Amino acid sequence: MIELQNVTKLYGKVIGVNDFTLKLGAGAYGLLGPNGSGKSTLLNLITGQLRPTLGSVRVMGESPRNNAALFRRLGYCPGSEGLYSSVSAFEWVKYLQQLQGMSTADAGVAAANALDLVGMTPSMHRSISSYSRGMRQRTKLAQAIAHDPDILILDEPFSGLDPVGRHELTRVLLDWIDLGKSLLFASHVLHEIESITQSFLLICGGRLLASGTAEDVYAMMVGLPNEVALRCNNPHALASLMLREQVVDSASIVEDTVTVATKQPARLYEQLPGWLQNSGIEVTEMHSADESLQALFNSLMKMHRGEL
Amino acid sequence: MGNVGAVFMFEWKRSLTLPRMAWWLVLAGFPIFIIGVIRFSINASMRENGLPDPTPRELWIGFLFALGPMLVTMLGTMLWVTPALSAELERRSWVYLSVRPNGGTAVLVGKYLAAVTWVIPPVLLGLAVAVPLSGASNGWQIWWTMARLVLLSTPAYAAVYLLLGTIMPRRGMVLAVGYSLLFELVISFVPAVINKLTVHHRLQALLLQWCELDIPPEFMSGAISLIGNTPPWQHVAILLLYPPVLVTASIGILRACEFSSSAESDV
Repeated sequence: MIELQNVTKLYGKVIGVNDFTLKLGAGAYGLLGPNGSGKSTLLNLITGQLRPTLGSVRVMGESPRNNAALFRRLGYCPGSEGLYSSVSAFEWVKYLQQLQGMSTADAGVAAANALDLVGMTPSMHRSISSYSRGMRQRTKLAQAIAHDPDILILDEPFSGLDPVGRHELTRVLLDWIDLGKSLLFASHVLHEIESITQSFLLICGGRLLASGTAEDVYAMMVGLPNEVALRCNNPHALASLMLREQVVDSASIVEDTVTVATKQPARLYEQLPGWLQNSGIEVTEMHSADESLQALFNSLMKMHRGEL
Repeated sequence: MGNVGAVFMFEWKRSLTLPRMAWWLVLAGFPIFIIGVIRFSINASMRENGLPDPTPRELWIGFLFALGPMLVTMLGTMLWVTPALSAELERRSWVYLSVRPNGGTAVLVGKYLAAVTWVIPPVLLGLAVAVPLSGASNGWQIWWTMARLVLLSTPAYAAVYLLLGTIMPRRGMVLAVGYSLLFELVISFVPAVINKLTVHHRLQALLLQWCELDIPPEFMSGAISLIGNTPPWQHVAILLLYPPVLVTASIGILRACEFSSSAESDV
């Protein structure tokens, strides 16, 4: 479905995508990466808005640049807003379907159906300027699916949606996948992707760091130092205790917080309550920094550079 | 063609707002206002001195030409066509249009056609009132000549501004103003090969040949050195070539360039 061969995209001296090689068959994929990781650049390359500085991009076997035939089979919902404020959602989606090649009547039907699918029917004849962020997001999605494309590419589709809106959009996308259609969507929030698909592409610094299922990604993390921060009433005593027990590799103290790096997080979590009870140290807050997506990417970047 | 029609209709519909309608009236009213002010001043002077109207017909034709086929047409097309692309880029709506089959081309051509058809009526209407207001003899002949020049100048200027706005979308308006001032208003008066590249030169030549101007013999050699001896049909043919050539060039540039919303700042 999508094939990138050693693709590099430079904006002057800034690297957007760095030597990216990828081959995706039909299916649903989540493109996961922190802000500024190159997700939007990658999607712009796949949708033919950008030309790779090096390498080649193929979508359904064809170059996406100025490819009218491909654009008939592609639906794209960008991350930026860019809606006309003075027209209604119906007029705007209908207009874009006419640009897709539909007649006025067919475009009207397609627009109404797509807006209905994303729950915008009651508001579709109101001016877009009066819409909330979530309503705009739904309208953006409607324009991407109205012409019934084979591949749907979404950039941060959940952005600005409330929990109900997220749930409804998740249903729409799951139904879409059930129809046997392909989906590639970018997000910087892990659980958004997990709710739609188990196939991940992890991108950071313009590089593809890892790909596979969620289990594959977690498996890669086994054996990597896990960073845990603990706020307590006696940080020096807690740090020396954990080092003495040889459960942590390093420890640092800032004010009342001890931050440790461990390759045995399970043992630490299991034994920590007993140590605290025996020593009388009171821990008021504890969190694993590695639960954050950025930490995961930092670890993968270090692996990528051979530092781990 | 269908998607060009869609853009054309969409842009026309969007233009039916109060601010745009007010601008339409400004374009129509501008030549009427200027000619009216001149007429009023001359009438006041005639009444004061008891003299007949001293303004020769040729001077009125000069005013009407400068206002109609030149100034108002240039202003109307410049303000609509030059930002055809940049407006979409700034609004970040370009991405929705560019991922449609031949979407970029449809947007450029559709907006171009919408602008041309939007600008011509107010100019013709303004001239229809301004010509009789001027009191110049053979008013119908003057209006008909001006109307033909407007029908030639509007598509040509729109094509020039479309190209300039596509070459440099972020600074298109600066480029268009610079081009208009330097080329159309200065270089077009230079009696050299370079003035033949301007739309103004062609219009000027057609005006002189179509309007049966009564130019004194001592000025005739100067006029010929400026406009040359090219027959009118050649000027018309060249003006008719402006739109297909320049619009095609704009489409070529559009297809070759990258206009992504993903700037360096939001890689």
